[in-house]
Amino acid sequence: MTNSSSNSQLNPFAAFQQAYARRRFLTSTAQGLGYAALGTLLGTGTSLAANPNSISGNGGLSPERLQQMLPHFAPKAKHVIYLHMVGGPSQMDLYDYKPQMNDWYDKDLPESIRNGQRLTTMTSGQSRFPIAPSKYKFAQHGKSGMWVSELLPYTSRMVDDMCFIRSMHTEAINHEPAITFIQTGNQVTGRPCLGSWLSYGLGSENENLPTFVVLVADPTNQEQVQAISARLWTAGYLPGQHAGVSFRTKGDPILFINNPPGVSSEVRRTTLDGISALNQLAYQKLGDPKPKHASSNTRWRFECKPVCLN
Amino acid sequence: MTCYPTQRLTSRLRPAFNRCNITTNEGGIIDEEYKVLYARDRTETTSAVWLALTTGCAVCHDHKFDPIHKKDFYSLSAFFNNTTQPVRDGNVANNPPIVVVPLPHERDRYKELGPLLAQSQQAVDQAKAEAKKAFDTEPQRVVAAEILAGLPSDGLAVQALLSEGNGNAVGVMVNGQLQVRTDNSPLEWAEGHIAPQALLISEKSNVQLQHVEVPFEFDTPFTYSAWIYLTKDNITGAVIAKMDVNTDYRGFDLYVEGGRVGGHLIHKWQENALKVTTQNALPKERWHHVTLTYDGKAKAEGLKIYVNGELRTDRQVTADKLSGTIKTEVPLRIGARSVATQASGTRVNDVRLYGRQLAADEVQRLAINTRVGYLAQLPRASLKPADLDDLFAYWLANFAPGYNESLAAHRALQGEEKAIRDRGTVAHVMQERNEEAEAFILERGEYDQRRDRVTAETPHSLPPMASDLPKNRLGLAKWLVSPEHPLTARVTVNRFWQEVFGTGLVATSGDFGISGQLPSHPELLDWLAVEFREKGWDVKQLIRSFVCSATYRQSAQTTEQKLAVDPANRLMSRGPRFRMDAEMVRDYALASAGLLSTKIGGPSVKPYQPDGVWEAVAMTPSNTRFYKRDSGESLYRRSMYTFWKRSAPPASMDIFNAPSRETCTVRRERTNTPLQALATLNDPQLIEAARHLAARAIESASDLELRIDFMAMRLLARKLEPNEREIIDGSLKSLLAHYQAQPNAANELLHVGESPVQDKLNPSELAAFTMLANELMNLDEVVTK
Repeated sequence: MTNSSSNSQLNPFAAFQQAYARRRFLTSTAQGLGYAALGTLLGTGTSLAANPNSISGNGGLSPERLQQMLPHFAPKAKHVIYLHMVGGPSQMDLYDYKPQMNDWYDKDLPESIRNGQRLTTMTSGQSRFPIAPSKYKFAQHGKSGMWVSELLPYTSRMVDDMCFIRSMHTEAINHEPAITFIQTGNQVTGRPCLGSWLSYGLGSENENLPTFVVLVADPTNQEQVQAISARLWTAGYLPGQHAGVSFRTKGDPILFINNPPGVSSEVRRTTLDGISALNQLAYQKLGDPKPKHASSNTRWRFECKPVCLN
Repeated sequence: MTCYPTQRLTSRLRPAFNRCNITTNEGGIIDEEYKVLYARDRTETTSAVWLALTTGCAVCHDHKFDPIHKKDFYSLSAFFNNTTQPVRDGNVANNPPIVVVPLPHERDRYKELGPLLAQSQQAVDQAKAEAKKAFDTEPQRVVAAEILAGLPSDGLAVQALLSEGNGNAVGVMVNGQLQVRTDNSPLEWAEGHIAPQALLISEKSNVQLQHVEVPFEFDTPFTYSAWIYLTKDNITGAVIAKMDVNTDYRGFDLYVEGGRVGGHLIHKWQENALKVTTQNALPKERWHHVTLTYDGKAKAEGLKIYVNGELRTDRQVTADKLSGTIKTEVPLRIGARSVATQASGTRVNDVRLYGRQLAADEVQRLAINTRVGYLAQLPRASLKPADLDDLFAYWLANFAPGYNESLAAHRALQGEEKAIRDRGTVAHVMQERNEEAEAFILERGEYDQRRDRVTAETPHSLPPMASDLPKNRLGLAKWLVSPEHPLTARVTVNRFWQEVFGTGLVATSGDFGISGQLPSHPELLDWLAVEFREKGWDVKQLIRSFVCSATYRQSAQTTEQKLAVDPANRLMSRGPRFRMDAEMVRDYALASAGLLSTKIGGPSVKPYQPDGVWEAVAMTPSNTRFYKRDSGESLYRRSMYTFWKRSAPPASMDIFNAPSRETCTVRRERTNTPLQALATLNDPQLIEAARHLAARAIESASDLELRIDFMAMRLLARKLEPNEREIIDGSLKSLLAHYQAQPNAANELLHVGESPVQDKLNPSELAAFTMLANELMNLDEVVTK
């Protein structure tokens, strides 16, 4: 609570909230990203990142207080492109230089490092756990002096423009829970994934396109493919419209995006206009302004809105 | 396989409810961890469905004001922790414990078959015991000469027993004449199978049979065989070959490839050759009789592989184009091709080459009689148990008619039982172990952080189980439906209310606990719960009371006042109005088109689905990697029968908020997204349904207005208002003009879906009405319940 203000001294609960929120942001991926949701929750209509000053007083919190609740660095990111390279080479062979490993070649992993780490059944049958250093050469690159291996000759020229995180930690010992963990912050499925949090938190400045899309690669090596599942881009307990819209590698990129054979956009326009006009009549009659089905929108657009039950 | 009377069968099937959780066979799992997860899922599901309590909140630790404590959770989980189900599901569909469920009309017969099979098995055993007595007391009835006389001799061109046992010479019968061939290097020998010794192939130890005429050609039938014994895994090489490695590998061989067995017929490798092998390796350290027969038709299908007299169906064809001679000057060799390629580590007896294609029964006799003929020559006392078994098998086949009759009868019953099983289904059920149900309180819910042991108990904050109830799932079930239980009936009627009205009287239908909402109409909920319980838990009666109520039947029309006072309709100021669930959207379209199949039960079906949905997420060896769409009636079954792959649920249902079925969901969310509109507008299933509705409308009347009425009645259950009719007429006029001008487009549209085009109807008209039906099917009022 180094950042306490006069407000927080007057209001210990708010102070607690502030410290708690910040600590959670730093320690827990899933909860931390929820912080980014402030922009939406406070009804600014635009993302915090796009315009942090846009926060207006709400929920009993003053603009100053809200400003204080931001992280130390003002959020600047407007977009996130996240490449998840299932089956890529190990970081130890790419950019996580571990020269000490050479001294430990073929020696068993000391208990002080393993720390009772549980074993998968795939490794539990091994009689020993020898250390294998990378067989690739590392060199320092750029002004930052970042160590990168010879496997990345082009990337190594760009190291000063990149951020390498070498402090990642996981408890997961297997592919599926590990992938679920890195996508959702928890090894157990059912939490919202990174993209869903960003969709929820940052919202979108664009009403015509989904906020969160997923491109699923078609692996070249089909024989060693590690299965992934659609649950990796679900919204978990967030509302469903924050789930990723998966663009497919084969067939229509978005399911059912194309008109059926023999249906021109002219025909589709005719039917959509008809649907829209008929729905309008129905709403007038019902006196209920809420459409239940998206094709009812007068303008055909990518708009995702949760529908209240009744 | 246990049989159950119908009543018993039904009650045996009930625990299937507890088998809906995810299971795994992943190589890296820790069994105990998943055992804990399975029990946890069952506990949470049971809590959510019957108690509407989120007991899973207490997995890690107690919460100060929550009446469900950690101890309560683990005590409840003990009820589900006592199953015989293995943690690893083996990646099989019938992972035990299971119950076989025959078709209803076959259940009585299936039940009879149990004792009948026991009887017939007894008869077989008895006949076998009698035969054994005769086998032991009358050994003289097995005459070696008779047995060996049964071997096919017609067309036998070359035969080498390979039982010399020392030296470097072997005897070969060539067209009935004994010849002796001497090899340069000393041969190796080992124990034989149909003779005391057998040739052991190695780099040095293989036999070259110079000047032996082999009557094999690519367009003539022939057969070659040998007894072989693989001393180790992964042997690769030739057992018999007349093949010139240096000239396009021309020739033929009997080949072992990584323990699998087969052969090549080669004019020029690889473009002009046949190659067939078994898919599975032969078990090592056992003798196998291998025969290859060829019909002379230059096709791989005519090159058959028999092992121990049985035709192998696990064939792998890697070359299937042969049109030139396979004759070569290099000599016939046993254990190698012209150069190298020795099947080192293989023992060989009785190499035979026939200049004709042997029939299946001849191949079988070759495999049996060579062995039995040899054993019959030996004194009984010197035979090992395995030898005696082989000899006795021959006795049973030839000297025990009673045995064969009873065996045939037994097999017929077995076949009948299997056929009934195959026509029926299996149900996954629970089966208790004999031990007392127990669980351990887990520190922070971690499987390896065991604390106190607990036994099966219901949560302490609810009325206790009656003392005479057993502490198992039966006892738990009886406790749930006991009259003093405050939750089960309320929770159940509330969930059905949610189904019918869109929102439960308690809106949080899965949470009646402290974080749940209070009921909107508490007295109504109480009354319904008591009625439901006292009327014998009659669901049909309950639903009837809902849908016949004035509350349900009132109009969904609202007013400003109603919106102001009762915005979410929690006070039921108007009739319910909400978007139909995923299954209903599809079923409703099919039903209105007259396409919906009313068939009940049977295996899951695979209707239309965009390509690539499964492939994108499948493991390579998965049996659900490729989606193979069904055809015919299976395309139009109710959506509840659609095959469900959890990692890639049916696309059109997933879009409409159908849960992934990974965990229990008692309340679906209901979102409104553009993807849903795309699905109802463009999904082939719904386009095809629109075409059928259109065709029915056209057939119903010649008047356009009457046709529109027909569609409106099917979809909206009402006639159209004049102002609606105006819009529809406008659409129809425009669509008719479009498709009359563009018959090709009409034709393309009408061919969406598998069902045949209604070709008696005018294509342009049908296309226009199809799109009009598509327009109507997409109305808010249609997809809204």
